[in-house]
Amino acid sequence: MTAIAESLGIRPQPHSGRRRGGARLRQSQLYPSWLLWPAFLVLFIFFFLPNALNFVYAFTDWSAFKDAINPVGFDQFSTLLRDNLLVSDIRTTVIFAALVAVFQNVFGLGLALLLEKDTRINRTARAFFFLPVLMSALAVGYMFQALLRPDGALNQALTFLSGIHVDTAWLGNTTWTIVVVALVNAWKWTGLSMLIYLAGLKTMPEDIIEAARIDGASWWKTLWTVRFPLLAPAVTFNVATGLLGSLNSFDVVQATTQGGPARSTEVLNIFIYHTFGSGLFAQATAMSLVLLVVVAVLAFPVIGILRRRENVL
Amino acid sequence: MRARPFSLLRLVQPTVVVLLTVLVIGVPLWLVFVTSSKSQAEANSPNLKLPTSWHLFENLATAFTDGRIPLGFFGSLLVMVPAVAGVLVVGSLAAWGLARRVGRLNSVLYGAAISGIVLPPAVVTLVFLLRQLGIAGTAPGMIGVYMGMYLGVVIFFITGFVRTIPIELEEAARIDGARPLTIFLRIILPLLRPVIATATILVCLYIWNDVFYAFFVLGGGQISTLPLNLFRVASGALYQNNWNLIFSYVVIMSLPLVIVFIVAQRRIVSGITSGAVK
Amino acid sequence: MNSIKRFLAGTAVAAVVALAAAGCTAANPGGSTGGGDAAWPSPTAKLKGVTLTLWTQPATSTYADQVISSFEKATGAKVEKVVLPDDASQLTKIATGDLPDVAWWQPTGSAMSVLLPSKNLQSLDNAPWLPKLDPALKDVGVVDKVHYAAMVSTPSVLGMFYNKADFAKAGISSTPTDWNSLLDTAKKLKAAGITPFYEGGGDGWPTQWWPQVQLAESAKAGFWTQVNQNKESFTSKPMQDVITRYQGMIKDGLFNSDILTATFDDQGTHLLDGSAAMVLQDSSAFLGLVNGKLNGQSVDDKLGWFPISTDGNIATTIPTGANALVAFKTGDSKKEAATRQFLTFWLGPDYPKYIAALKTASIQPAVPNPEGLPAINGKIKKSLSNSIGSMQSLAAVNPDLWRNLQDMLNGGKTPEQVGEATNAQFDDLAKAQGLPGF
Repeated sequence: MTAIAESLGIRPQPHSGRRRGGARLRQSQLYPSWLLWPAFLVLFIFFFLPNALNFVYAFTDWSAFKDAINPVGFDQFSTLLRDNLLVSDIRTTVIFAALVAVFQNVFGLGLALLLEKDTRINRTARAFFFLPVLMSALAVGYMFQALLRPDGALNQALTFLSGIHVDTAWLGNTTWTIVVVALVNAWKWTGLSMLIYLAGLKTMPEDIIEAARIDGASWWKTLWTVRFPLLAPAVTFNVATGLLGSLNSFDVVQATTQGGPARSTEVLNIFIYHTFGSGLFAQATAMSLVLLVVVAVLAFPVIGILRRRENVL
Repeated sequence: MRARPFSLLRLVQPTVVVLLTVLVIGVPLWLVFVTSSKSQAEANSPNLKLPTSWHLFENLATAFTDGRIPLGFFGSLLVMVPAVAGVLVVGSLAAWGLARRVGRLNSVLYGAAISGIVLPPAVVTLVFLLRQLGIAGTAPGMIGVYMGMYLGVVIFFITGFVRTIPIELEEAARIDGARPLTIFLRIILPLLRPVIATATILVCLYIWNDVFYAFFVLGGGQISTLPLNLFRVASGALYQNNWNLIFSYVVIMSLPLVIVFIVAQRRIVSGITSGAVK
Repeated sequence: MNSIKRFLAGTAVAAVVALAAAGCTAANPGGSTGGGDAAWPSPTAKLKGVTLTLWTQPATSTYADQVISSFEKATGAKVEKVVLPDDASQLTKIATGDLPDVAWWQPTGSAMSVLLPSKNLQSLDNAPWLPKLDPALKDVGVVDKVHYAAMVSTPSVLGMFYNKADFAKAGISSTPTDWNSLLDTAKKLKAAGITPFYEGGGDGWPTQWWPQVQLAESAKAGFWTQVNQNKESFTSKPMQDVITRYQGMIKDGLFNSDILTATFDDQGTHLLDGSAAMVLQDSSAFLGLVNGKLNGQSVDDKLGWFPISTDGNIATTIPTGANALVAFKTGDSKKEAATRQFLTFWLGPDYPKYIAALKTASIQPAVPNPEGLPAINGKIKKSLSNSIGSMQSLAAVNPDLWRNLQDMLNGGKTPEQVGEATNAQFDDLAKAQGLPGF
């Protein structure tokens, strides 16, 4: 328990709320539990309970074909493992999430550095790069479906520029389309990570940076040895939300490739959607349980590492 | 002060910025605009050329009625506003408590509360539960789902922020005999403005554009949201390669948020940046 | 420590109570306890104030328009069309407890079993249109000896559409009589510089027709019955042979070069403009697509049709969601009666107008085909007399064979692996349905 709490950044608090003498009574009066009840009631009904039920139904044979529900132990899971589909879909999901995390952070930081100064052009550019964040993932998916068709705008532009007829099926390649879809996802969300990095850059103590500059350090060196370490909280936030958010991805992938071609971009949520839609309800819940485990297994160490880095730096 | 030799760089940077913006952002948006202005035949194979005949308003009007945009818009507002208000009220109260309380139990509760950021809601059992409670396909059901999903985010942000508020302010008020609720409303809440702004913007963004959960929760009910309508009709239009209609829906769907953004640009950007990195 | 223990205990108790309460009730939506002999209202009785919900898919969204407007005028009722984006969404909606009043639905056993027909669908056993129906269709839409689906048009047939001009250009004067002659025809077309076959490998679902039409003889010999008893499977020789032959044809270059990205829509476009000579497709869907593109011109001008199987011309039938509707037990007896009335109207007084609007053949011997019905429709209907059901019709459950075939096209699976993957899914679905032997 303590390890989990710590990895989420919860450190034991200094007893700042206590006074001398009679302090032990104070907490329930200072910060009464009714502060917490509404939130936890909502969380219980709409979050914890469904997840718990998920835990239960994954061990039954709930389906559209039968009226009754019977417990079947680990049957659903052994079916999933035997099928190989689950394993390959997990791999696809993790690869996708990793790609998204990398793209969003590299591009986000790059843009933040490029647009750091508060010039008019920079501020306008920042606003433009934020526009995709406002669009629905579905809309973004449709947009890129049109752009990346074999006869679409991207290929037309490439044909025009290179002189050779280009008709690559950007969304039809079983090896590389996953990268393309990750780029599309990044296109949508980079504006947000850019803003977070900008915030981080702007709230840096000026004196340290000045000191480094006076010492003769180049812009690049200052960036790596002084500023990047100070960006640790921003990195934590961006990597965590990018990685973990895209482990639960559905919208963008569904809108661009629907999991194809040949299941090469089938992230778990899409698989769950198809399975549920074919009537195998319990199998679908078993899969979402697996997704939960995958996310948890990845979440805690990643956040732990990033938080620890924050503290060190 | 920067020395003169950098003046060439000063030209390069804006050029790079403009070029990058135009290519990365401008081109896709141009495609949307241009295709939604074309006739169905011309839009069949979407490209960047200008339409030979302008059908923009025609297409938008068709999308408006076919996609039941007013109903969708109303539905989106109906679920978003209470959900955002609810999650902020409930979340800020809990966040304050979680930030200030100490002890093992508190740490566990905090961990559980923010687990919502990384752990996805279990859609299937969630909908099943809503049916048992009789609120599947209704606005209260959807609002509850969104609150459950995003409480974690709100609590995460606000707790971090509260920890930067000096406890002396609260203690001073307590000495004066103020009760917890008063302290919260009079002292804490006003100071939380930046982070509440951040949280509002982010949660609004997530909810306004959500189609996956709305599809499962509202999929059977009387209420529909904008993205849900877009999904329904675009699937049909996609079947027939009606890109002009699909992109008209995209335009209509994105417009409200874009307008809000243009109007409140500075507030929004500063809201996110000031509240996020604490 | 104590407070944590108490808290956890309390939560656990609450959770168990909630789970017990939730788990005890049936997971699937309930239907009404409708009586055995439902009343069949007069088709034009007044229904003011009644609103019926009709579910359609994107493909069939406009098919019922004529019936709906006539019905609304005749009875004062209102029919709300709800278009669902895909198959997965239908079952999901039903699982959330939202049942429509009437829906387009594939009238095969495998497709209807997911609806738990005895619980959720109205029995149409004594429907007034049943005696008027073409005797050949008497048993379509029946599950456990009860009629649940109302057929409104001839079941779709899998067959080869061909471009007449292309055939003429390649000097082909008669249509193939078995698979070998089909391959010969394809080679002649290729020699004349025309793409023999056009496949929609991008969409993927058309790929499943190829193994199925080749299996017609095996199906007649009872292949699918064996599969349903787990005595044969998708890795058995008959299935493996036909999948391998299909793969071989692609490798021999008899298909379009953009097979991996081509769509259903492209199939229509390319067959009509002659850049490809043949398309193997489901007749209802393809005719709908092609008629939409022809804008009034008769399909007979451009296209012909023939059924094909390994050793002959046995047609493979596949009643689809464009051919029939089901009526749901929603618990509202007034609406249930109104739905029955709607279907009676459709298959009664309105039927001649319906088939005229849709340009499709009549399935009621007493009602003649609409005027000017293209010869191709007649040919397709005639093939029913020498036909056998498809996988969808005869198999107990419906696996995504097409997805695995699409994998194979993309080089991700061998025919053997296609069989294995499809078996796995078939087994899952059969087990879920409680079929003996799985």
